Amino acid sequence: MAEPILQLEAVSKNFGGVVVLENVSFNVAKGSRHALIGPNGAGKTTLFNLISGVFPIDAGSIRLEGKNLEGTPSRRRIGLGMARSFQNIRLMPHLSVVENVMLGQHSNAGLSELLKPIGWLPRSRERLAALATLEAFGLDAHQGQVVGNLPYGVRKKIEVVRALVSSPRLLLLDEPAAGLNPIETAALRDFLIEVADSGVTLLVVEHDMPFVNSLCQHITVLNFGRLIYDGPAAGARRDKAVLEAYLGRRHAEDTTDAA
Amino acid sequence: MSGYLAGIVSILGINVIFAYGIYVTAASGQLNLGGAGFQAIGAYGCAIMSSVYGFSVWTSILIAMAIGGAIGFVIAFPILRTRGVYMVLATFAFAEVVAGIIINSEFLGGAVGLPLSDYVEVNAIIAATLLVILFVFYLMSTRVGLAMRAVHDDESVADLMGVNNRAIQVMSFALGGALAGLSGALYALYFGFVEVQYFNALLSIFVLLYVLIGGTQTAWGPLFGASFFTLVPEALRIGEDWRFFIFGVLIVAMMIFRPEGIVTRDALDRLWLRLAPGTRHG
Amino acid sequence: MLLVQQVLNGLLLGGIYVGVAVAFTLTIGILNFLNFTIPVLFMLAGMVGWSLSVYGLPFGLSDPLGWAPSLAIGILCAIGASLLVERFTYRYFKAKHGDATEHAIPLVSSLGFLLIFEYLVLIAHGSDSQAFRTPFADLNWRVAGLIISIPQVISLAVSLGIVAGLSLLLTRSRIGRALRATAENPDAATLMGVEVNRIVPVVFVLTGLLCGLAGALFAVNYGEVSPYMGDNVGTKAIAGMVIGGLGSVWGAIAGGLIVGLTETLSIHFFGATSVQISVWGLLLVLLLLRPQGLFGHNAIGKGKF
Repeated sequence: MAEPILQLEAVSKNFGGVVVLENVSFNVAKGSRHALIGPNGAGKTTLFNLISGVFPIDAGSIRLEGKNLEGTPSRRRIGLGMARSFQNIRLMPHLSVVENVMLGQHSNAGLSELLKPIGWLPRSRERLAALATLEAFGLDAHQGQVVGNLPYGVRKKIEVVRALVSSPRLLLLDEPAAGLNPIETAALRDFLIEVADSGVTLLVVEHDMPFVNSLCQHITVLNFGRLIYDGPAAGARRDKAVLEAYLGRRHAEDTTDAA
Repeated sequence: MSGYLAGIVSILGINVIFAYGIYVTAASGQLNLGGAGFQAIGAYGCAIMSSVYGFSVWTSILIAMAIGGAIGFVIAFPILRTRGVYMVLATFAFAEVVAGIIINSEFLGGAVGLPLSDYVEVNAIIAATLLVILFVFYLMSTRVGLAMRAVHDDESVADLMGVNNRAIQVMSFALGGALAGLSGALYALYFGFVEVQYFNALLSIFVLLYVLIGGTQTAWGPLFGASFFTLVPEALRIGEDWRFFIFGVLIVAMMIFRPEGIVTRDALDRLWLRLAPGTRHG
Repeated sequence: MLLVQQVLNGLLLGGIYVGVAVAFTLTIGILNFLNFTIPVLFMLAGMVGWSLSVYGLPFGLSDPLGWAPSLAIGILCAIGASLLVERFTYRYFKAKHGDATEHAIPLVSSLGFLLIFEYLVLIAHGSDSQAFRTPFADLNWRVAGLIISIPQVISLAVSLGIVAGLSLLLTRSRIGRALRATAENPDAATLMGVEVNRIVPVVFVLTGLLCGLAGALFAVNYGEVSPYMGDNVGTKAIAGMVIGGLGSVWGAIAGGLIVGLTETLSIHFFGATSVQISVWGLLLVLLLLRPQGLFGHNAIGKGKF
């Protein structure tokens, strides 16, 4: 296995006595496209929140590129090379698209750049970089619009763009394909493969199994806060525990969804 | 400029600066219902510097601003421990305590007030107002301004984007204190007299209304709100009581029809499009 | 002895604050709404009552009324005004994005109503204080050198009685359970079959009733009403509510009494102008050290504003 970019060791978390994650350990290999799946309530989003530092962990350790993240406040973690998106879109509703994306670069801005009037400079380096990424996603037409009024699919993509402009080495995506139509989903997958090929490691929480299977080589499965599978994507489809806990039900749901 | 017009312009300038003092905190998501307290600090600071210590007008103004900013900075730390309704109440209590201290201090003139011997011309107030407007627009266009608006919209995501929420909020309070202090200093120098009764709860309420009804999304909001509520009552030449009654009706109506304030991003975007199609980029 | 008298006066003064503080705490606790019209509802009951007792019904419909029917109609007016506020503030409050300042919408709206009602009364009757005559304004008990105003004792008893009744209503009745479910979680309450839209007016009726009663008791006790009578009582009641803890009925009672005591003792020891520092300083310190107040629930009022 390649060198890990993210290492979780015996991570546990409970909220008010309710155990949400128990003794979860796995590695995410550098440059890989890694999926984190599991039924609702398995603790996937909680795990993202622990990795990005929204909550402290109760026990265990999380290492990014070998550095233990314990004690690193959440706002400094993006500067260490990790960025994330959110399950429910969490863009700033009153900012325009390009401003949201420029906010994504905040961690890269030096102290001296804090007082540069980026709102007044149509050709500033920050704005051009934001526009370039938006263009790569085919979103440049929306750049000046206020985010609150845009359709769901567009906002979903803007969130990925916002995460990308901080030039992360590890990108955490929480259900990026949810709510997208099949054509948009396919386009997102192709784009994410491109992103990964440029050297960014992906850790993706997703319910859409065809999407996961076509994007990720490695799958980690959680159920009720415990890790029940960690290995190649192909193996998950044959794993008994996974089938029982998750895929069996999902397959049933997928067929009803398709109907 | 006639005396009457000069009077209105001066009040307008003072109100606009005051409103920006409340706006910089509101823009980063903090409601400050203690505006009168900060303005009183500036007014009394300036009066003391000018009358008791004999500093020149501009030195007095700068010191008053510095005092307002310093108190805003210091009070921000405890006040930021509170949230939501508690913050509104804590800032309100702060203003009441400031007024209480002034009433009980002989040095500050107690309930009688303090006279000033120096004064500022209306032109100086206009210049200060323009500078403040320019400064706030500039600030909101910087990365700091972007971070402020991000904190306003979603504190926890702003944090994950690397924004130092605490620093942004403390800075907002300090800056707000300095601007409210400046408006107080100009008020003191223009009227030549400060008395604590002027800096009451109703003043705090009014200035917060200027800002919220103008709109907190852009720096145009407080400019519009303060101007509207300073000039329209003058234009409506009716009794004082009816003015405030109509003011109340307008507030209720505006919250029904434009709850995000008169000036919003959407409204501005549509306006730009109409004025100059295709030129607006972000 | 003088000190004991002051403590007594403080408690009786606090009795007036209690009703208004409970009104504040109900709207905050159940609707998460800091309702700034509460002080004018208090004032409306007193001023309408005074106006009826001097001029009778408007448009010459009747001769001057007696003090009791006047105040009763005054209380009804406060309830009506409170429902009007509900119709035009709370019902329009729909947070679109739920950001930091949007939740201030009903608060701002209620400030608008504060101006509307206060200045309507000013337009009608001017800003002077008016004497409100009742047959028993000067009834006093003299016990062991203490002067106890009987109307004030009755007021305190009535205030506490009403609050106790309210407390029973909240814990025992169906409506009370619905109110508390709404306070806990409006969405869950809707799922459990509580019609939140029909519960909200109940809160405003109770608000109007509590403020109206407090205003009527104030008029009877002090024999004086004015368009500004709500300002002082309202802000002191806010202080009482915060000290007791937002959303706690018994906290509001304790807070109201504590504020009344602080006020009279502070006047006794440090002079009249010290009240503002002592009451608000106490509040500020308490907010910073123990934001949930003495009896408050930790979660209330913390949500983004």
